[in-house]
Amino acid sequence: MNMSGLSFNALPPIDLPFRFFLSAPIFIIACALLVLFSGETLWLSRWQPNMLALTHGFTLGFLTMVMMGALLQLLPVIGGIGVVKPRLIATTSHALYCAGVIALMLSFVFATNWLTLAALILLSLGLGIYLSAIIWVLIKKISQGDSINCFRLAITSLAILLLLGVLLLANRVGIALPSIILDKHLTDIHALMGLVGWAGILIVAVSFQVLPMFHVAPNMPKYIRQYLGTSIFILLITYVFYAEVALGLLFISHGVFAFSLFYVINQRKRKVPDTSIKYWQLAAGTLLLLNILYFLPDSFYSSVQTPLFIALPDKAMLLTAIFIYFYLLSVIQGMLLKILPFLSYTHLQQRCLVDFSAMQFIPHMHDFLNKKHGLVLYYMHILSGLSLVAVLFEPSLYAVFAILLLLEFVWLLVLMVRCMRLYFTVNKKINLSNTP
Amino acid sequence: MSSIPEYMTTKHRECDEFFSEAEAAVADKDWSLALTKWQLFASELTEHLAQEEDTLFPQFEQATGMTSGPTQVMRMEHQQMRALVQSLDNALAAKDKDEYLGLSETLMVMMQQHNMKEEMMLYPMMAQHLSDGEQLIEGFKANEAV
Repeated sequence: MNMSGLSFNALPPIDLPFRFFLSAPIFIIACALLVLFSGETLWLSRWQPNMLALTHGFTLGFLTMVMMGALLQLLPVIGGIGVVKPRLIATTSHALYCAGVIALMLSFVFATNWLTLAALILLSLGLGIYLSAIIWVLIKKISQGDSINCFRLAITSLAILLLLGVLLLANRVGIALPSIILDKHLTDIHALMGLVGWAGILIVAVSFQVLPMFHVAPNMPKYIRQYLGTSIFILLITYVFYAEVALGLLFISHGVFAFSLFYVINQRKRKVPDTSIKYWQLAAGTLLLLNILYFLPDSFYSSVQTPLFIALPDKAMLLTAIFIYFYLLSVIQGMLLKILPFLSYTHLQQRCLVDFSAMQFIPHMHDFLNKKHGLVLYYMHILSGLSLVAVLFEPSLYAVFAILLLLEFVWLLVLMVRCMRLYFTVNKKINLSNTP
Repeated sequence: MSSIPEYMTTKHRECDEFFSEAEAAVADKDWSLALTKWQLFASELTEHLAQEEDTLFPQFEQATGMTSGPTQVMRMEHQQMRALVQSLDNALAAKDKDEYLGLSETLMVMMQQHNMKEEMMLYPMMAQHLSDGEQLIEGFKANEAV
């Protein structure tokens, strides 16, 4: 085994992941305002400019933002090695990326060429810097595990997603590559690479690690750990050529993942009530529901002679909305409830290795994030998610969704700020105790 | 015969199980069951830490000459874990459920991080450097049987 280059405690400074985390809810708060001021027409189709701004606010502004911050922190813990020059990488990529997402959202809303161009440049640079740093870590021969392999696939998906996004944006400002046809299929590939490849495979990888670790659960079945991530990635590539078949199999593979999640959660030894577990269960249940909805015949959707008690809205929009809101967002929020106190505690604890007496100043994990507050977030999430589904059926309800969304993410922001403030207060106490 | 990584990792899992059972009992406010399970955990932990600090770490340090490296960090973390165990003892004696669960979540996270470092790095390094690793483990087993 090659142990050189491995550092025992390679945690990046806490403000680096936290700046990604803290920016994330602000983008959803902006999305809530966008929903509030866009009115009913927003919900007509996924191609509405404001809808494109909304989806990118959710996926880039929130999901990717949190995942970028979490990866910075996870790689040293799981792989034993972190990004080189973390402060430089995190600061520049975060600033460029934030500006890029804002420019992108504005460019959809106002359809101005210079905003599109700005988004293209800022996002390419921001994500490019971040990706290069992470790829440098991932190609090194560090501890080989199923999680690390899935991380590699997720990062590859992110690179493809970025590349396609750049092509699509370039096309909007009039730079077209003659050999590539930019049609709906290409945007579908772009969307799937992001939602299923980047976000989805990353979640699969994270589940292998955190369920056994935080909940004393058994490992995922071996064939799931070895083949699920790779299968999903191969199906995504297959989708380029055989869309229909690949999409069906993608839903089924996520159904298999859902059953594995339920199995592992059910077998866990640590049965103490936990909101993160509730989020995982909600996510797994969502994947099963999505399978049912996907395999329902098309006549169930937007049909006049509907066989159900109510006509279902546009299938792609309904499935995507549920996937993002009840699957991806649920897992990410559940993880944040663990990561925020975990990081705060771990960083303070590391400081006390040399100054043992300062241990007395560190509060326990539930002080950083009150359990009841986390549970409130969970119920707010279900409520706002249900209102989102209601809007897809009845767009005039948009204001209800906007307000519930606003409340949920302001609450999340409050929880983050409280956690950080406690961290800095305690950190100060430790500093004072060190200076006689 | 089991190797150092095999045996020591199994011990981590055993500790996790007693720990989880104690925690679940506290969540149910079954204080007598909680105390029984907690004491089982505490004695398993004490024994495990002693095996590392009294036998494995010194042997490893001698074999590699690394006295201020990973084993030193592990020793300091053990000290922190003992402090948390002490706080948990107090919370259990006071039957303070919320305090106990907050502390137990904390100790859990600290132990898992600590275990990961040992299982992924330190134990494999020990297996590599200690030629009599399996005999040492047999010694631990014999002590347990007594």
